[in-house]
Amino acid sequence: MDNLELSYRHADSAFHRMSPFAKMLYITAVSLAAIFNSSLYVGAFLFLFTLVCAAFFSGVSLRTYWTFGKVIMPFILILALIFPFFYKEHLTVGSTSIAIHTPIKDLSWSALGFGALLALRFLAIGVSGLTFAFTTHPTDLVQNFSKRGLDYRFVHAPVLGLVLFPSFLELARDISTTQRIRDLGQDRNWLARKLLRLKHLAFALLVLGLRRGQTQAMALDIRGYGAHKTRTFMRPMPNSRAGIVFGWACFAAGLLYLVLQLGNLSGKMPWDLG
Amino acid sequence: MPEPALVVEDYSFWYKVGEGERVLALDDVSFEVAKGELLLVLGTSGAGKSTLALNLVGIYPDFFGGWNQGRILVNHPRRGVVNRRQLDQGERFRTVNMLFQNPEDQIVTLTVEEEIGFALENYLVPVAEIGARIDRALDLVGLDGFRERSTLKLSGGEKQRVALAAMLALEPSVLILDEPTSNLDPVGTAEVLEAVDRIRERLDITLILVEHEVDEVFNKVDRVLLVDGLKVLGPYAPRTFLEERGLAVRDHMGLWIPQAAEVALGLRQAGLDLGPLPLTGDELVTALRAGSGTNGARASAGPAPQAATQPLRTPGETVIELRDVEFSYPSRSAVLHGLNLDIRRGELLAVVGQNGSGKSTLAAQLNGILKPTRGEVLVHGKPTTSYRFTDLARRVAYIFQMPEKQFIRNSVHDEMAHGLSALKLPSDQIAARVDDFLQRVRLAERRDASPYLLSHGQKRRLSVACMVIAEPEVVILDEPTFGQDWQQAQRLMDLLRRLADDGAAVVFITHDMRLVAQYADRCAALCDGQVIYDGTPAGLFGRPEVLARTKLKAPPVYHFSRELLGEPVLRTSDLQYRIQEHARG
Repeated sequence: MDNLELSYRHADSAFHRMSPFAKMLYITAVSLAAIFNSSLYVGAFLFLFTLVCAAFFSGVSLRTYWTFGKVIMPFILILALIFPFFYKEHLTVGSTSIAIHTPIKDLSWSALGFGALLALRFLAIGVSGLTFAFTTHPTDLVQNFSKRGLDYRFVHAPVLGLVLFPSFLELARDISTTQRIRDLGQDRNWLARKLLRLKHLAFALLVLGLRRGQTQAMALDIRGYGAHKTRTFMRPMPNSRAGIVFGWACFAAGLLYLVLQLGNLSGKMPWDLG
Repeated sequence: MPEPALVVEDYSFWYKVGEGERVLALDDVSFEVAKGELLLVLGTSGAGKSTLALNLVGIYPDFFGGWNQGRILVNHPRRGVVNRRQLDQGERFRTVNMLFQNPEDQIVTLTVEEEIGFALENYLVPVAEIGARIDRALDLVGLDGFRERSTLKLSGGEKQRVALAAMLALEPSVLILDEPTSNLDPVGTAEVLEAVDRIRERLDITLILVEHEVDEVFNKVDRVLLVDGLKVLGPYAPRTFLEERGLAVRDHMGLWIPQAAEVALGLRQAGLDLGPLPLTGDELVTALRAGSGTNGARASAGPAPQAATQPLRTPGETVIELRDVEFSYPSRSAVLHGLNLDIRRGELLAVVGQNGSGKSTLAAQLNGILKPTRGEVLVHGKPTTSYRFTDLARRVAYIFQMPEKQFIRNSVHDEMAHGLSALKLPSDQIAARVDDFLQRVRLAERRDASPYLLSHGQKRRLSVACMVIAEPEVVILDEPTFGQDWQQAQRLMDLLRRLADDGAAVVFITHDMRLVAQYADRCAALCDGQVIYDGTPAGLFGRPEVLARTKLKAPPVYHFSRELLGEPVLRTSDLQYRIQEHARG
């Protein structure tokens, strides 16, 4: 798990100097454009744009991005290879001539393009999301949204999640090992055994998680969590003017593209599989 | 009369157990803690030490409900001695605060700096002041230079010291440390106790320490408080406490007492009075060399001693062989490096070493939870890779450190019967064997209870019973006595001894060297994924270079018996016997 620790990487880059809010605007813009996009060219542009941002402006090596990218790559390949079989002429590019003959269905160039579009969509969102995770200190996130009027306890919850996630995973792994050691459901068929083990895992995680949560809540209370409506933040929050301009510019462009796309859609959304 | 830091007056507390129902947990408790004092709180597992601590902090009844009666007064830095109720929540926690047993429960941020600053930020401490307080707190716990470190990558001892620093940064008048070393290896324990010493030297703070590691702390504390059922007795001066109650708390309550005092009290019972009761090995040696009161000793009726240098028991048949085992987790460097070890029937084998040395990874190799990346683990000559996992799991039982992880059924009875049902035994045989085991582990009265609702000691006994009831050939236990008092630990180890005597191979991972000295037939010391020592416990304690590499410490009796007798013994009863023999001439 060490390599998959989804946490902040210390560096001094354009993205590190941006406020979390500005980066949220960037991600929102990329996501809006990617989700509502029906053009392969725009999809490729979005992916390249996020890749350039990651490579040259995030201060994090592409190798680190790849550590995560390779984990979700099978999922993206599945999208790219399976969804062409469900293609219903959603794309604005690609000819209808047959590109590949398969035993299930003959696939056109536009069907293959549809698969590629789906893959590019998730790649763009994934890369921009990783840029956000690698360049945003969790405390800055809490601070930024707290200063924008959100209760800091609410925003701190994801940070707690990041801290607790590894131990929760370890607990789940140990419980699964116990189920194997003690052969839970040995007298049942494969499916019934899996269901029983899943039910037990959920119950054990709930009981042990609640107990742990109670202790954590106690630990938070005695350290003044929620004692006041606000709190001080010792860490100065990055808030570059260029970052804000970039964030709003991306957001405006994303919004504009969305409006144009909604106007051009002929009753079918690009993700509607019909 | 010194100025008080904390005064508890006629205080009672009831847990809420249901709608309108309550159970008395503390009954009419009164005591006072002086400013700057270090108070040790003793009591059996489940006696109510943590309940008392949580009441002193105000977690009970304010956060988790319950009813209380009586008063708790605290010495507020500006307002003097006031009823805790007169302070708001923030003031209360900044006056009396608490460090939990498990540092994992207390760490809520990603870096050391944030962790220590967390409470200060919550209490609106000015930003300009926070940095200086963090540096001061880190210095106190001996973690200078750790400010930027990730909390996810600290060792157990470091985590506990970070949690301690986070409390110290708040500058409370009274700090309660609830078994701060129970999750730690010997080196982590030593680090935390050194930090406590430093805090006492430099700060005007009152410390209340709940602790089982009495050998390390008894000569440092000012007074001792005993939690006994619903009552709280004391505080006593440490020497007075041991003089008056030492043997009673050991024999009837099952608590640990310092080994030097244990020997002296035993000698006193046999007619050898050493004068003022020694608390440390050095004091015992001095008292014995002074020869006070050695006349008139009665002949010992105790068991003949076991020499520390006693050879290994005659080994039984080898059940598991590890041959040049290497193992690494994906994307990490190797955890085990060419490890060789034999596991034999009839033996209690202690696997020791500091946290991260590969002990748990080794244990997981034995029953096929993990498979070696190189080398072989052979069970009865066949590699673990050629067994079906469930078949191997029936032969080699693995018992987790945290018993709750092991429960898969809804009642104590079903939990025990599960392993036997898997063997397809007739129902009358299953019923008879479950009843027998329920009696043996003293859980007959809880047979229909949910395993999750048992006390910690009961959970531990159940977790062991449900794995050994099917008579596995090998039993592996990860920290079997974690969080248990001496009596519970002894009962459990006696049960394991019987299993070994009946022909099972028992492997236990532990940090507790007193336990190793008393029970282990053989010891395997791990360092960086290799067995660097395989032999008797006495042999291990006699190898300073191995102890240094594995960061282990011999129990105190080993050192002071060597000084007294010229050769070491491992048990206090053995030393006592030898001294009495010597006194008889």
